[in-house]
Amino acid sequence: MEIRPILSALMRNKTGPILVALQVALSLAILTNAMHIVNERRAAMARPSGLSDEHATFYIIARTLNNDSAEQQLASMKREADILRAVPGVASVANVSQMPLSRSGSNNSVAVDRKQTRQTTSTSVFVSGDSVIDTFGLKLVEGRDFLPQELVDVNQNESNQYPHQVIITKPLAEKLWPGAPAVGKTMYFGTGEDAQGVQVVGVVERLQAAHVNLEERSEYSTLVPARVYGNPGNLYAIRAEAGQRDRVMKEAEAALRKSSASPMILRLKTVDQDRKELYRADAALSWMLVTVSVLLLLITCSGIVGMASLWVTQRRKQIGVRRALGARKMDILRYFITENFMITSAGVFGGVALGLGLNHLLVSKLEMARLPGGYLLGGAVVFWALGVLAAYGPAWRAASISPATATRSV
Amino acid sequence: MFAYYFMLGVRSLRRNPALTALMVLTLAVGVAASVSTLTILHVMSADPIPEKSSRLFVPQFDNGQVEDYTPGEDPGDMQMSYPDAANLLKSGQGERRTAMYGVPAAIEPPRKDMPAFSATGLAPTRDFFAMFNVPFLHGQAWSEADDARGADVVVLGRETAEKMFGDANPVGQRLMLMGSPFTIVGVTDTWAPLPRYYKLIGGNRFGTPEEFFIPFSTAIRHETQHAGSMSCNANRDPGFASLLTSECTWIQFWFETRSAGDRAELQTWIDNYAKEQRKLGRLKRNAPNMLYNVNEWMEKLKVVGNDSKLSAWLAFGFLVLCLVNTVGLLLAKFSVRASEIGVRRALGASRSEIFHQFLIETGVVGVVGGVLGLVLAFGALALIGMQSKGMANVAYMDWQMLGLTFVMSVSAAILAGLLPTWRACQVTPAIQLKSQ
Repeated sequence: MEIRPILSALMRNKTGPILVALQVALSLAILTNAMHIVNERRAAMARPSGLSDEHATFYIIARTLNNDSAEQQLASMKREADILRAVPGVASVANVSQMPLSRSGSNNSVAVDRKQTRQTTSTSVFVSGDSVIDTFGLKLVEGRDFLPQELVDVNQNESNQYPHQVIITKPLAEKLWPGAPAVGKTMYFGTGEDAQGVQVVGVVERLQAAHVNLEERSEYSTLVPARVYGNPGNLYAIRAEAGQRDRVMKEAEAALRKSSASPMILRLKTVDQDRKELYRADAALSWMLVTVSVLLLLITCSGIVGMASLWVTQRRKQIGVRRALGARKMDILRYFITENFMITSAGVFGGVALGLGLNHLLVSKLEMARLPGGYLLGGAVVFWALGVLAAYGPAWRAASISPATATRSV
Repeated sequence: MFAYYFMLGVRSLRRNPALTALMVLTLAVGVAASVSTLTILHVMSADPIPEKSSRLFVPQFDNGQVEDYTPGEDPGDMQMSYPDAANLLKSGQGERRTAMYGVPAAIEPPRKDMPAFSATGLAPTRDFFAMFNVPFLHGQAWSEADDARGADVVVLGRETAEKMFGDANPVGQRLMLMGSPFTIVGVTDTWAPLPRYYKLIGGNRFGTPEEFFIPFSTAIRHETQHAGSMSCNANRDPGFASLLTSECTWIQFWFETRSAGDRAELQTWIDNYAKEQRKLGRLKRNAPNMLYNVNEWMEKLKVVGNDSKLSAWLAFGFLVLCLVNTVGLLLAKFSVRASEIGVRRALGASRSEIFHQFLIETGVVGVVGGVLGLVLAFGALALIGMQSKGMANVAYMDWQMLGLTFVMSVSAAILAGLLPTWRACQVTPAIQLKSQ
């Protein structure tokens, strides 16, 4: 084939080809790493929270400005929940300690054995005096929901004794007892002597924690059946009938305000809002990386087109001579495409090495994930295709040079 | 000659409009991407209090359980327990000292036409205001006596004060805070350092200013719940009193020393303090006791997130790509002018003259690309700022960055122009003239 003459021609004038190969290498390295990060973030953002109807779910944090005793607070909690249940369009209400994805809530360390000195992992704890499974619409995959007699009222200023039954998520069950059924087993809050043993009565498929990040721990949640009182602020999670959320929110707020004699501070928020705020930085980073990647491809393309056009102009006479000596248009076209393919290939190989190097740097310095080989392979294919496509225009122009005019001035 | 070459450069922009436009655009996009990410890094990592940052220290003890401790690991939480905070406040060490924690509170304005609202404030000691250079609009900080007896006094943030009292001076008035009457002793002027370096744990680091301040001792006396995170390594008994004796960490502490050199002295003191506490059965881990100054603290708590660094790194990679691209385009642009160079050289221009001419020409491209890049960078920052209030606070350009952008784009263009210009100088006049 004609690889040898093309190679020796390339070696005579190295600057241009090196510049093109360098562009391809840099683009490939940045593009593959950027795409990997974008996909990783997109996947994290797409994880389901476990709530059956996120768009219809919202919550109200209500705070009454009076100096009620703890017992009065308990009574008003129950009353407020009933008022909310009576609002038309409300499907379910639960008084709960925290909301998934809300970035505000508490974690507890858990262990599978009292003798452990180190925790097995930590879990996000949802304490509720109502059925969270019903309000959030969680999917029970093992065991049962709490029985009414298991729900207890706890004054947080006087007691830290919580009920002895819990429901955990499937990912947490897998972490604690891999491969074994969790129902009936005992896990411990805390470690050592004063660790509190609780029995798992049910397992739900999924419920994301209050603090969600890229780690698996974001799905380690535990439900505790207690109505905790003695704190002036209460959180009510509400699931409206599908499509009625906005109306229900307005009416629920009005109903609560009307019910209280003393002034109230209410904060309403939808799960949609929480989700948006939680992933705002990830979405922004994804957009930035996608924008840079598109610009990257455009610039690399323009670089290849520009350099190929320059070479065609510079070699007008030589092309004319070749054509006059019997080369077909096809031969000229093939020459330029092959030449470009060789340059792109050099760039692609360099780019794969550079991409791996860049990823190594990102992993060690910025705690990013390791780049799977598929991205580099995909990137290589993209750049090969891009190189041929970008070179096609100038190569076609070269092939169309008429031998008569090109050789006229020789 | 400079002016003449400059004019030639401007004119040559028009000679090959498509190529020139591509070059300017490439340069502008590269500069815009790197400048906008760099601006955010610059704002996030800038020293928030340069005159004092080496004299303000966060002391840190590890009071975790000894059972699950591996020597050398960081404490689970970087905050402080109440017993340590109270002892350090009493110590009299350093020039000034403050403990603090975030407090949520319902405020009932004295005006009857205004509904109660919830606000988030800070509970520090009197020293806080002097330590962090908090400016006052009206009144002043509370007194040491107020600190000592936990008086019901409050310093309002400017926005909170204006919301309730307009432009009037509210010092001396009373309002209901957390259900008790508090006397207003001062109003701070606008004060919102970015990042919120004095309280990096809990809450938004690039968020809104504090809405009010009450004495630390007052917040404790009212058993005020804290806004922020708390870490407990053992089950504690219920109630606020037991929180104060527990090893739960939820308070942040700062010392100010007279000079940066007093650091060693302070370190010795906290080491001795930890030794004494160990005799009393506390701090069993025997981990090193740390002091962090402002910049070390920001570094330790990763104020500049990995995502911001990633953006900046990739944007710079992108700029390098744009430069390589520009080198190629300039080579193309100059190579078609070989005959012009041949004529000039034959008429007596030296190589250095040619070098000057073409370097100035690339400089012109750099200036145009830089101006366009700046416009694009402003656009990008405005877009980034639209994401959230926190981002809007960091996505702004100061004079320093403005100058840097300009220098960067011109020097980038000149750097890109070096190789093509050198190539242009190598033109042999004889061959060029012969082929004409």
